[in-house]
Amino acid sequence: MENSAELQRFLEEEKQKAMVSEMVGKITNVCWDKCITGTPGSKFSSSESTCLTNCAQRYMDMSILIMKRFQSMQ
Amino acid sequence: MDPFSSPAPSNGSSGPSTEALMDQVKAQLAQAYAEEFLETVRSKCFSKCITKPGTGLSGSESSCISRCVERYIEATRIIGQALFNSPR
Repeated sequence: MENSAELQRFLEEEKQKAMVSEMVGKITNVCWDKCITGTPGSKFSSSESTCLTNCAQRYMDMSILIMKRFQSMQ
Repeated sequence: MDPFSSPAPSNGSSGPSTEALMDQVKAQLAQAYAEEFLETVRSKCFSKCITKPGTGLSGSESSCISRCVERYIEATRIIGQALFNSPR
């Protein structure tokens, strides 16, 4: 039935979007703690925003490295 | 219509239309995301701004909380961009 295929596609797409949101949420949570050490100001200092960017990218690098190590141990 | 009730079936079919179902799923996902986000913000800003709970929120605690909420939203945006706009 057409409805079912359309629903399947829709649910798969929403699942992907939810996984992306969850990842961004998790990384923001962790990187906030690492990078925003003082009282929040009315804007981020450039070292704070650089730290956030670096943190997100290093977290992803680490995630890939962990997968590789883990797979090579199977 | 609230996101948790089903609409009346249309054209004699026995369940909600596909489109109505998709809208319902999207609305529920958006609500779940918003609740999770708010819970995170509460936790972060309480720990940053309320160091010694008193008998009311002081002016400096209130402004700290406002700034904290804005900064956390901005941090979320920065992380999103770091991951999807300029991946290395």
